[in-house]
Amino acid sequence: MTTADRQTLSMHHSEVQVSVELQTPDMTLNLGPQHPSTHGVLRLVAQVDGEVIKELEPVVGYMHRGYEKLAEVRTYPQITALVNRIDWVSGFANEIPFMVATERLMGIEVPERAQYIRLILTEMARISNHLVFLSSLPLELGAATPLMHALRERERVLDLIEGATGGRFHPNFNRIGGVKPAAGAGSTQKKVVQDLPQGFLEQTKSAMEYVRDVCADMVNLVLGNEIFMQRTKGVGIIPADKALAFGVSGPNLRASGVPFDLRKTDDYLPYSNFDFDVVTGSNGDCFDRYAVRLEEVVQASRIVDQAVEEIPAGDLQAKVPRIIKVPKGEIYVRAENPKGEMGYYIVSEGGRGPYRLKIRTASFSNLSVLSWLLKGQLVPDLIAILGSLDFVLGDVDR
Amino acid sequence: MSPSELASRIAGAVGSDRFSSDNGTAKVHIAADRWVDAHRTLSAEMPYFSWLSAIDWATEVVVGDAPESEDIEPRYEVLSCLGNVENGESVVLSTAISKDDPSLDSLADVYGGADWHEREAAEMFGIDFVGHPNLTGIYLPDSFEGHPLRKSFALLSREVKPWPGTVDVEPMPDEEGPSTENPEDAG
Repeated sequence: MTTADRQTLSMHHSEVQVSVELQTPDMTLNLGPQHPSTHGVLRLVAQVDGEVIKELEPVVGYMHRGYEKLAEVRTYPQITALVNRIDWVSGFANEIPFMVATERLMGIEVPERAQYIRLILTEMARISNHLVFLSSLPLELGAATPLMHALRERERVLDLIEGATGGRFHPNFNRIGGVKPAAGAGSTQKKVVQDLPQGFLEQTKSAMEYVRDVCADMVNLVLGNEIFMQRTKGVGIIPADKALAFGVSGPNLRASGVPFDLRKTDDYLPYSNFDFDVVTGSNGDCFDRYAVRLEEVVQASRIVDQAVEEIPAGDLQAKVPRIIKVPKGEIYVRAENPKGEMGYYIVSEGGRGPYRLKIRTASFSNLSVLSWLLKGQLVPDLIAILGSLDFVLGDVDR
Repeated sequence: MSPSELASRIAGAVGSDRFSSDNGTAKVHIAADRWVDAHRTLSAEMPYFSWLSAIDWATEVVVGDAPESEDIEPRYEVLSCLGNVENGESVVLSTAISKDDPSLDSLADVYGGADWHEREAAEMFGIDFVGHPNLTGIYLPDSFEGHPLRKSFALLSREVKPWPGTVDVEPMPDEEGPSTENPEDAG
């Protein structure tokens, strides 16, 4: 090798040293629509630079069933069966704002006992929804144990919902003017008093004990877990002003420190009769969204306990016409569903079905913040952030 | 504050004289050219953007029942719902746009949440939200033609089989007392 060759070689060598920073063009990373971490058919198209997300576009609509159009050709009693299926993790709660809106348009006063039953089952739907969330987020972060604990107690709650309504996920239990008589009651059994199943109230009380126990376990298992804290604290922060502008509601909004709870501000069910706290977080990160829901389960069980104690005797149904016709008018009724604000804007033109039914769902707005939220985040954090928002694609797509 | 007081106060704040509070829903009508300004004015007091959607007011409808009264002015009514999270007040804002040129200025600059809701309304009603950063479809497949929530859009399953179907429903036995079951609804 000549000296000149050596010089060339060393020159090449130095060039290699200089250009050690490799060109890494942005890569398109596609997640979903069939991906276990997306809780359904959500698709995310991310532009990633290494591990950093530069742009992210959520693609929804794989579950779109066109309920708003379908409602225009259905009668009011038929729509109850549709709205169950919007957010199937808390099916019962979906029925409430629709029923209240219809009843207010018709000027129907729902008997107090029916209102209490609605309230108890709504809170039990909240508990069952939150227990799914409380078990799935740690699972996505690699902890399988909480799932076993939370789902065991959720099963107790679901069994009770099933006992009262006949359905675990799609109760279809509300009727305009009240609730359905107990499962199995037909017109031939009119003389028999049909009500909640025997022992329902006592079993509900004991189930609430179990639920509170498992929440205490979860505090120890999850909230105090070093790995869980590192994966969630300071990750995916949604500031309060952003959350409000995007219409983020429910526990996601409260985790950002906004004490907004429709159970306190609106009067669609008699929540003012009960003592419970609105749980808020302070940082708006994934950890707070988890902790807020964990405490909300305890608060919901407190509400159920009080309602079970105070439930009045009486009718399950108000007197309503045989053929439901809703007077001309417009109304918006919203409710604090497990995932946030759910509301129905009904435009009635006096017919047997609505002229227009706008369904406002919590997950749609909660998910619309994703593009903004995930910009600049790391890919591994994406899983934690997605899991912490607690959405269901049926609730996004409707 | 009662819904009627709220509607009257909001109407005053945005310079409108048409408001209502029927059924406890405060609703304020705004001229289409003042739509964005009105939202900008309210955004400090009502920072929570709940939803945005539209209604197709038509005298001839392909699906469902036509409106009761004949003298409905055909138009698209765009609605938005804003909220105050401190006192729980909520107001629905409404504007009317013509069916010949269904376009309205976008709220995406004022409320980030309007982005997706406007995409949905654009897709479902064919309304053009001027100034929207990315007014593409949100739910429907790319090849889908038409705007499904327009009253002129037929529901295919209803074309194939009218509803309620021709199912024979046995009449309910005569009952005493009030009943909520409607035999016609059973089909």
